[in-house]
Amino acid sequence: MVVKGLLYTKDHEWAKIEGGVAIIGITDHAQNQLGELTFVELPDIGKEVKQKGELAVVESSKAASDVYSPVTGKVIEMNAKLEKNPEIVNDDCYGAGWICKIQITDKATTKNLMDAAQYEEYLKGL
Amino acid sequence: MAEKLAAGAFVFEPPANSPVGSVLYNEHLKLTDKSHIAEFAGYLMPLWYSSIGEEHSAVRKRAGMFDCTHMGALEVAGPNAESFLDAVTTNNVRALQSGCAQYGYLLDAAGNVLDDIIIYRREKEKLMVVVNASNEPKARAYLAALQAGKAKIDMAKPDRQIKTAPVRDMRDTKTGPDCRVDIAVQGPSSPDVLCKLADASVSQQIKNLKSFTFCQAKLANIDCIISRTGYTGAKVCFELFLHPKDAAKLWQKLIEAGALPCGLGSRDSLRVEAGLPLYGHELAGPYNISPFEAGYGWAVKLDKEFFIGKAAMDKISKTYKMKVARLELSGEKGVRPVRQNDAVICEGLCAGWVLSSATAGTKQIALAYMDKDKANEGNPVDIYYLARSESQKNKGRKQAVEKGERIIGDIQGKVISRFEKF
Repeated sequence: MVVKGLLYTKDHEWAKIEGGVAIIGITDHAQNQLGELTFVELPDIGKEVKQKGELAVVESSKAASDVYSPVTGKVIEMNAKLEKNPEIVNDDCYGAGWICKIQITDKATTKNLMDAAQYEEYLKGL
Repeated sequence: MAEKLAAGAFVFEPPANSPVGSVLYNEHLKLTDKSHIAEFAGYLMPLWYSSIGEEHSAVRKRAGMFDCTHMGALEVAGPNAESFLDAVTTNNVRALQSGCAQYGYLLDAAGNVLDDIIIYRREKEKLMVVVNASNEPKARAYLAALQAGKAKIDMAKPDRQIKTAPVRDMRDTKTGPDCRVDIAVQGPSSPDVLCKLADASVSQQIKNLKSFTFCQAKLANIDCIISRTGYTGAKVCFELFLHPKDAAKLWQKLIEAGALPCGLGSRDSLRVEAGLPLYGHELAGPYNISPFEAGYGWAVKLDKEFFIGKAAMDKISKTYKMKVARLELSGEKGVRPVRQNDAVICEGLCAGWVLSSATAGTKQIALAYMDKDKANEGNPVDIYYLARSESQKNKGRKQAVEKGERIIGDIQGKVISRFEKF
């Protein structure tokens, strides 16, 4: 499942741009590949990340996977609910399962992401 | 056994073939998305259909079934079949009765474990050897090398000879009419599932089967070897060996009869929970773990006059200092899972490493290779998580912990019994 209006990376993160802030999560494809998540390591508030830099770690019983930042900026909020209930990512990866919010410091980094149609095409090619 | 024993080792380079779908590949595609299918031992196999947790629970509470058609099945036949297998495996094949199965090991002359196997004696001179999928090419090459006189037999007695017998790949339909691939049906209601596909007399035979015995009978009109064996720790468990041409039909019938298809994910979590070893993890592998360390000394008959690797086993049985232990840790959602190579800490010092781990309900079960004298049931242990990402490395988390290193663990647990049946 791919949601319109979001931007996507080749590593299966999504970003929803609202003003100067990006809400970040992992895509349905990513959560489906990982299986039931048992642990999410969230970024610290204030952490500065570059596009494609390490942002978080998601772990299922079978794999640990890095989540890379789709944009360059500073973490201003994280979804603390995921610490106790990582399975929210499986249940609602584009909604309640968001991972963090980033104050974008380099607007250009929102320009090289895929839109929903492009990401859908990309998934077909995998 | 920290290092692979070199002198007398059988060296085999596996062929680098691209993966192929198992015999049941089309059935898997009916049940799950391609993204849940991955390469394992050269085959495209399902990781899970619904979820690892659901499939794990189905095997513990009802009945689950597994595509094991990738497992190797070799026939060793003829007047020398018994003496050949008795010389190349560690258990007592001469004592194996028709209709019974036996666990054992294939060792090289240096004592390295080449595979763990189950031998089924179908007739006095017709035995079936089931080997791991990942080791099948190696096992076949080894037996062929022994037949050709090209593999070492006895380091101390280089002129020792053994009688050999012909070996046939039973999964290859070109090698003969009696072909066999494995479908496992495991869990407390597995007899009900099988009996739905059996007539009254076969149902009675199925109910009478004891652990490690088998019969040959028809299920859904398909000729099967029905064996009370398995790899899930279920007290009630079956493996069905049938012609590959019938595999899809029986698979469908088993679903109709109430077995839940289960993938490699739950196959692994079930065997870890039960304490069963996986070759390359709890056997052989980077630590070159011997059967004694793995907890299977009983399957190595040191009182046999000879078997390949006996001298090394004799020595290891008296000197080993580490062993495989089963650990229990909390495993609620939000607890970071322990993983392979994480450090096991006893009294502040690294006493070993995690080999495999799995989530079972709200617990995590880990199998660890650790100091024998620290591995008594009930002993407290801590686990230190190794770095699994760049950011964790940057925060100073270690990528490896040495034996004896002083380190503070992250999560507490304890040693529990080596095995458990469900």
